[in-house]
Amino acid sequence: MGKLYLIQLDGRIYSCKFCHSHLANSDQLVSRQFHCRHGKAYLFNTVVNVSVGPHEDRRMTTGLHTVADIFCNCCQQIVGWKYELAHELAQKYKEGKFILERAKVVDGDSNGSTDYYLDSQPVHSDTEDV
Amino acid sequence: MGGDDCDGPPPLKRMKLSISATKSIPVEASPVYPTGLAPMARDLPSSDGETLGCKGQIRKLEFVRIITQALFSLGFQKTANVLEEESGVSLQSPVITQFRNEIMGGKFDESVSTLRKVAPLEPETLKSASFLILQQKFLELLDSGDTLAALKTLRTELSPLQINTQRVHELATWVICPSKEELKEKAEWEGAGLDSRARLLEELQELLPPSVMIPEKRLEHLVDQALTVQREACIFHNSLDNALCLYSDHRCGRDKIPTKTLQVLSAHEDEVWFLQFSHDGKYLASASKDLSAIIWEVVRDDYVRVKYTLKGHTKAVSFVAWSPDDTMLLTCGNEEVVKLWDVQSGECKHTFNKQNSNFSSCAWFPDGKRFVSGGTDKCIYIWDLEGKEIDVWKGARMPRINDIAITRDGTHLVSICGDKDIRIYNMELKVERVIEEEKPITSLSVSKDGRYLLVNLVSQEIHLWDIFEDDKTSKPFKYKGHRQERYVIRSCFGGSDQAFILSGSEDSQVYLWHRGNGELLEVLPGHAGTVNCVSWNPVNPHMFASASDDHTIRIWGLSKSPPRSKGSCSSNGGVDHLVNGGTRELMEKLRPF
Repeated sequence: MGKLYLIQLDGRIYSCKFCHSHLANSDQLVSRQFHCRHGKAYLFNTVVNVSVGPHEDRRMTTGLHTVADIFCNCCQQIVGWKYELAHELAQKYKEGKFILERAKVVDGDSNGSTDYYLDSQPVHSDTEDV
Repeated sequence: MGGDDCDGPPPLKRMKLSISATKSIPVEASPVYPTGLAPMARDLPSSDGETLGCKGQIRKLEFVRIITQALFSLGFQKTANVLEEESGVSLQSPVITQFRNEIMGGKFDESVSTLRKVAPLEPETLKSASFLILQQKFLELLDSGDTLAALKTLRTELSPLQINTQRVHELATWVICPSKEELKEKAEWEGAGLDSRARLLEELQELLPPSVMIPEKRLEHLVDQALTVQREACIFHNSLDNALCLYSDHRCGRDKIPTKTLQVLSAHEDEVWFLQFSHDGKYLASASKDLSAIIWEVVRDDYVRVKYTLKGHTKAVSFVAWSPDDTMLLTCGNEEVVKLWDVQSGECKHTFNKQNSNFSSCAWFPDGKRFVSGGTDKCIYIWDLEGKEIDVWKGARMPRINDIAITRDGTHLVSICGDKDIRIYNMELKVERVIEEEKPITSLSVSKDGRYLLVNLVSQEIHLWDIFEDDKTSKPFKYKGHRQERYVIRSCFGGSDQAFILSGSEDSQVYLWHRGNGELLEVLPGHAGTVNCVSWNPVNPHMFASASDDHTIRIWGLSKSPPRSKGSCSSNGGVDHLVNGGTRELMEKLRPF
């Protein structure tokens, strides 16, 4: 594996739940109103220490999007996805941004975060932040 | 053909004869020339517009003169004189010869007046030259004790020149020097005699136009220039010996660069993350994820064996640093402690610990008694060998340190702070310079001469920065081609004169570039996993080593003959291993069956 190069962030950090490598800074948070198969999801401008998978077209509550799953560099877990392309005009603002699933990350501020699941939905869903 | 015997042959004919019959002097021309008048009587063929060389760039007159000078300086007086006669070109005009003799003979007043007769000089030059001569006269007079005459020179000859008045004042103060020794010391003067006069001549020569007095060793200088150009054009140049052959243009072949695996070292039980040769090239230290570091001994070019296995770390060892005299080794655990080992005995002398020690790398000071360590706890500590913390740099402005290095001469401390910043701290002037990179930096190394630094970026580029460069807008020199996305990949300088850049890569190959022109010279396969680190033997330009995730270290050397004809297994020392592409060759051999 080699010595992993992991970028360290400062401030209030969201880290990978399994390996605790830093994923995103809270000042990059855009919205908390997103959902995924396992529950809540947050939209971020940039994330670090992830690698991007292949592009896929997925139908979401807001329409068709081209997304790519993102994996933690350290433990290879799927932690969310990246919006590559939004096919509807109203959704264009999401392009280039990242979704981190709430269930896969640990909030920097709280020790032992209280994770609770919302009802799981059969398809990937997301909603926009009005 | 023989000379003409009548006086009135057309001038043209005479000229032609003179050119062709260089050996036999035509009867008309006077047999013996007093040296000095020769150029006047014969300013025909050898001067004026004749050029040599295929581009017509070399003037024959100048060429002959510098050859004459070279002959004189090599000590071949007679040959030089004969050359002057034969070619009719003398090294220096008679005025200059007279001038030189006067200076060396101490006849300074005459030399000043001769100076005026030398080819037309600018008034400034004339004044500066006169100043130098008169200064020498002054000093010699003082030295011989004739203070009154010295003062007279100062007043009547030096001051009226009205240049360099500060120096005149200085000279005045030396009049009262009590002893000759003190005078010599203050003036930085060797004393009256040939030495100081020769030095005076050198200084004068720099003032006078070069065509009047040719600078010393001119031919040597020109040949040196040509050789330097050849050497720089030779991109594979990689040898210890400095002298180049004059008989043919210098061009090294590709076989001067190590491209063949000579040995595979498998003592580690897990990924090898770091390795480095000692400064004297006799040892190699490697650090591995198997929690140990190994000191290897370099016995021969193709034979390296284990000397000591250093155990004691509780985390993977990610960094090692040799002390400047190679007697001690520091090892860093991966965000863990730093341990100091004695190379001769293999024992751990000390463990350096801080609460929650998170050291990532360390570097020695050139005195070998102190070292710095940097880590993720955002502090740089300076330690002595007993374990005492001498100093610490920390604070709000200090971010996480990923890598740290000190140049060989101890003037600069370079650190990688906060992923993207390179901070170069000049320890003498206490000035810091920050270079901000656009992409995160994974590793750092500095050149042997302490002038350049090399960083590997996550964006698959290697950047070369000049440490002394002050310009804020300067751009680094870039090397590309290798793969690096996720892991810490290291690169290094290497080869004779550190003319090459070597790097590991995530595609299991070793990449080699020419440092000067950035050309990717070699891509060397062989490893079965990411090549994490490379190190070139500082003493042997034909050996380098690479460390990989496949648990092995490979020692690379020159390939003596093309791999195809040699067959698959290398013959050295009975060590059974397959060399570059050896597997492929084996398979090819089996295919016909």
